[in-house]
Amino acid sequence: MSEKLILGVPSKGRLMEQTQEAFAAAGLTLRKTGNERGYRGEVAELPEIDVAFISASEIAWNLKTGRVHLGVTGEDLVSEQMSDAASRVTFLKKLGFGNADVVVAVPDCWIDVRTMADLAEIALPFRRAHGRWYRVATKYLNLTRRFFATKGLSDYRIVESLGATEGTPAAGTAELIVDITTTGTTLAANGLRILDDGLVLRSEANLVSSNLAEWTPATRNAMNEIAARMAG
Amino acid sequence: MPAETAKQFEALEANAQTLLSVFTRGGFEAVSPAIIQPASVFLDVVGEKLRARTYVFSDPDGDELCMRPDITVPTCRLHLERHPDADVPAKYSYNGPAFRFQPLGSGHAHTREFRQTGIEAFGEANRERAEAEVVATIVSGLEAAGLSGYQLRFGDLGLLRAILRASDMPSRWRQRLMHLFWHPAAFKAELNRLTVEPGSASTHIPKALADALDPDNPEAAEAAVATYLEDKGIEVIGLRSTAEVADNLLGRVADARSEPLSAKTAQLIASYVAIVAPARASGRRLRELATLMGVNIEAAVGAHEWRLELLAQAGVDLDRAEFSADFGRQLEYYTGFVFEVVTQGLGRRSPVAGGGRYDHLLKAVGAPQDVPAVGAAVHTDRLLAAVTNGNGGAHV
Repeated sequence: MSEKLILGVPSKGRLMEQTQEAFAAAGLTLRKTGNERGYRGEVAELPEIDVAFISASEIAWNLKTGRVHLGVTGEDLVSEQMSDAASRVTFLKKLGFGNADVVVAVPDCWIDVRTMADLAEIALPFRRAHGRWYRVATKYLNLTRRFFATKGLSDYRIVESLGATEGTPAAGTAELIVDITTTGTTLAANGLRILDDGLVLRSEANLVSSNLAEWTPATRNAMNEIAARMAG
Repeated sequence: MPAETAKQFEALEANAQTLLSVFTRGGFEAVSPAIIQPASVFLDVVGEKLRARTYVFSDPDGDELCMRPDITVPTCRLHLERHPDADVPAKYSYNGPAFRFQPLGSGHAHTREFRQTGIEAFGEANRERAEAEVVATIVSGLEAAGLSGYQLRFGDLGLLRAILRASDMPSRWRQRLMHLFWHPAAFKAELNRLTVEPGSASTHIPKALADALDPDNPEAAEAAVATYLEDKGIEVIGLRSTAEVADNLLGRVADARSEPLSAKTAQLIASYVAIVAPARASGRRLRELATLMGVNIEAAVGAHEWRLELLAQAGVDLDRAEFSADFGRQLEYYTGFVFEVVTQGLGRRSPVAGGGRYDHLLKAVGAPQDVPAVGAAVHTDRLLAAVTNGNGGAHV
């Protein structure tokens, strides 16, 4: 591990652009070094920092294991990948983009199910009719399990879904879903409706520090410098 | 803690062999079910909360497998492999590792890899006799391994079932309360709701639809729901049918038309759940409650006392035993009698042994019908800790 502070940021697409904009707003220029297709970079104004361009879904894991000191990632991914997020990372600053909600959504035609309590009520009748618990399609296995547990729900099955989750009820591979949504239009287009108390998590992109990374006075100073500029 | 496990391997193995020799002498055939099991069986039977505690993984074929989180389900599968119709009584014993993720870290009483040594009795129609035999066999094993200071705790879901059956309420409420027993907070809330406003859920039914839903005319309900969905332009998707939606709504309308649960019945149920008594006094306590509330649960209380009698005959010291009506809420697959063995040193959260009756498990795993089943397991690592930390000495 280098002496420098390592900052992990999304490596492509809209998330990378928005991260660069957020840093630019704080007077910091985030750019790649060497090859434009490479994965290393720098903050032009702060030479004591190394930037690592990382796939957005892997930044949380890098924070969790301390491979980066700082990272830009969504709360949904942090909560999903860490059962003990509070002890492993610190949220420094909400960045105002990447806003999305993780929600529980059921077929709109289930007019008898508006709340998580309603969902609990149909567990037993569903099992009697179909010989198994209803299936919840999601990529958020841990978030789903934790949220359902706080609502007293344990009689369901999770089906892991890594894409097109909102299509699974119509396709018959799951009965309901837990997924991320920004406007709810995709859910509605697939005949789904969010439960009244089905908000699992309100997520946006955050500047996050790892409690497990190797912290020296130098890296700590660099973090304080970024945090101060981003806050200002 | 693999290193420590290795260090203690011989002591653990000696303990387990002592237990196994007691079990096999009692006619429980020693078997070795597979360590890697299909995950779906466990997730279906125990529910998704098990995923939080189980090492689940996909193999190169994409099949979802797990490291067995207990050895009871694997033993059920082994039995069905030998007897697909599950029509042959059998008694098994086992000894081996089981695996559970420990969210608070792995401590010496809660290791992620732990050893279970246990017994299962399948197909014994004489229920109380089978239950007493399992408890007595476990207790003899523990004593042979050197444990002497311990307490026993008993519970019985059959008593709750009897109390609900004897109480005046729609069968739909009975099923719901029985199901919610495993969720104490929800159980309490539902009991209160049924007493205060059983129809509360029906107020959310759209007016246009509510008028068309009549529990006395269930055939019309499905059509009414279908018409409602069509009028609103809501597409019907998924496997849950309009008839199921209509059924649920009808149930709510019926709830609203029912008399609320009487305060007396709610009190009976709440008082029952609160009973904690020395085992020897528990029969009397249960009868007092039944008399006070004017319900007849004699068959269930009789079975409870008969079981205690059989336990005493088998040499189990009932002065160490407590009955707790609330006990049995931990694992949903238990259906009747439950028990555990605790020591003062390890505390109630870390029982040395435990088990009970689970009559639906074999069917859930693939048997063509329910099979009477009762079993128990010793947490061998805890037994060793208890015996070496002084619970081998004086009666606590």
